Amino acid sequence: MKKLLIAVALAGVLGSANAAEEKVLNLYNWTEYMPKEVLKAFTKETGIKVKESNYASTEEMYAKLKAGGGGYDLVVPSTYFVQRMAREGLLEPLDHTKLPNLKNVDPKFLDQPFDPGNQHSVPYLLSSVGITVDSAKVDPKTITSWLDLWKPEYKGNVLLMDVARETFAVVQKALGYSANDTDPAHIEAAFNKMKELLPSVKLFNAESPKVSFIQGEVSVGITWNGEAFMGQQEKKSLTFVYPKEGVILAMDTMAIPKGAKHPDNAHKFLNFVMRPEIAAKISESLGYGTLNAEAIKLLPKELASNRIVYPTADDLKNAELLEDIPTETQGLYEKYWSELKTAK
Amino acid sequence: MTDKTVFKRFAIGIIAIWLVLFALVPNLMVIIASFMTQGESEFIVWTPSISSYQRMLDPLYLQVFWNSFYLSAFTTVLCLLIGYPFAYLIARAGPKARPILLLLVIVPFWTSSLVRTYAMIIILNANGLLNSTLLGLGLINEPLQILYTDTAVIAGLVYTLLPFMVLPLYAAIEKLDWRLVEAARDLGARKVRTFVSVIIPLTMPGIVAGSMLVFLPGLGMFYIADFLGGSKTTLIGNLIQRQFLSARDWPFGSAASVTLTVTMGVMIWIYLLSAKRANAKVEV
Repeated sequence: MKKLLIAVALAGVLGSANAAEEKVLNLYNWTEYMPKEVLKAFTKETGIKVKESNYASTEEMYAKLKAGGGGYDLVVPSTYFVQRMAREGLLEPLDHTKLPNLKNVDPKFLDQPFDPGNQHSVPYLLSSVGITVDSAKVDPKTITSWLDLWKPEYKGNVLLMDVARETFAVVQKALGYSANDTDPAHIEAAFNKMKELLPSVKLFNAESPKVSFIQGEVSVGITWNGEAFMGQQEKKSLTFVYPKEGVILAMDTMAIPKGAKHPDNAHKFLNFVMRPEIAAKISESLGYGTLNAEAIKLLPKELASNRIVYPTADDLKNAELLEDIPTETQGLYEKYWSELKTAK
Repeated sequence: MTDKTVFKRFAIGIIAIWLVLFALVPNLMVIIASFMTQGESEFIVWTPSISSYQRMLDPLYLQVFWNSFYLSAFTTVLCLLIGYPFAYLIARAGPKARPILLLLVIVPFWTSSLVRTYAMIIILNANGLLNSTLLGLGLINEPLQILYTDTAVIAGLVYTLLPFMVLPLYAAIEKLDWRLVEAARDLGARKVRTFVSVIIPLTMPGIVAGSMLVFLPGLGMFYIADFLGGSKTTLIGNLIQRQFLSARDWPFGSAASVTLTVTMGVMIWIYLLSAKRANAKVEV
């Protein structure tokens, strides 16, 4: 009886705490990875105001959370960081009773080895790293391999993203190694190959690579597929190529960081974005593939058949998903990255 | 105890607490972190080591420091060459024009330098304002490639830092004792000789102060090199930032930061010494 009383009292306290949760949600997300209209629709329906901050690499997000900073309620880690973050106690367990819309997600993306039972994360979007081409300047048919970027005619016209991990993954694949290869000799070979590409590189940018394509500064570049899709809305001539050695895949998830002040709001938001019509809208607006099976059914035909957003099985031949790498390897990547940009 | 001493203690007390909390403690933490080691899933492992400082001696990182110093020094020289005649003109302008000219120097501070750097991207890009104007006037046939080159980086740094050069120079030139200049003329010195032997030594405190105010911030302004230079060079700022945000190596990032702080400290010390000597000379 006494126990029951305590439980009731506790439930009362918790309940009132929940009810008192401020109508705010602090979302820490990749740049341009959540349409403003979705945030507005969420606020309109629930009265919860979303404050969004952005990052351009998962490493950056991880470093800020790990340092205990931010006060964020929701983050968008790629799968290869979910495992590391859960292991290090950086994520709150999810309450599945508050996430009925999880049933809409394609089961083949649920209960994966990086997060068994989806205890800490729900699938969000699938992105790939391939080659964006401005077909007004370069015939996309002439680009079939990563190694085509090294052709002398693209000198001064190539864009690379300013992220060591993804770029090394690409060059490792171009050389026939795995994107997740941690052998220092193979990484050094990739570094030497990158040095050969450097004279062709006009700029490094990961925040918004599409801008340089729209401004006409570059004609080819290694970017995320959504960048090509969003760029295409403003400049018709932009397109996206899946190189034959295989693209780099990253599956992004949403998770609640440890100590989040508004976990209830975060669950509400998670459930909201897993609604079929919202998930479809997100994919339509950003150009990344939704992992929501019900949403796929709602997609306009021209989007569902758009190879930039929804690649064919053939496009994804040899594709590889990024995996967690040891800190030592990440340090090696970073050292080479600094060296790449230091030698004259 | 009078009201005055109460106020004095209160004011000093607040500043002292502020400095201890937000300057001394964070800096001590950085110094301590720089003598620790990195771990697989911890940013800092409490094993004392000087390995981070040993790594600083790697030719790669020395090159990074050299690149930053070179870029900043080049910017300082350009700012001095552009800023000196400008400050001279302001100081010699009439009493009505002077406040307006000074205001124009300060106006850019009303906007964030980040926003102004973005504005430069819009002006300099291949289809930007500069290129479309030049193309429209028929002065060039194809767009100039300025954005994402060293030229753009230097232009951005000079543009951002010029006011820091002009203001101290103006202050020095403005309080110049012009009777000494007239005396030099009366004694037969030509204009160039007067400038080199009289005006420059007398305005030296302004030159040194302006150069420090440009050079030291210039070392840290890596975002201008990133935005306008396309992130193609690693500067000290990039190096430190990447250790914390990407490489998960706080001890090394701290060591690089401490090295930079110590170098800057030494330079300020040299400046203070030379300022003392310059002032002593002027008084003679």
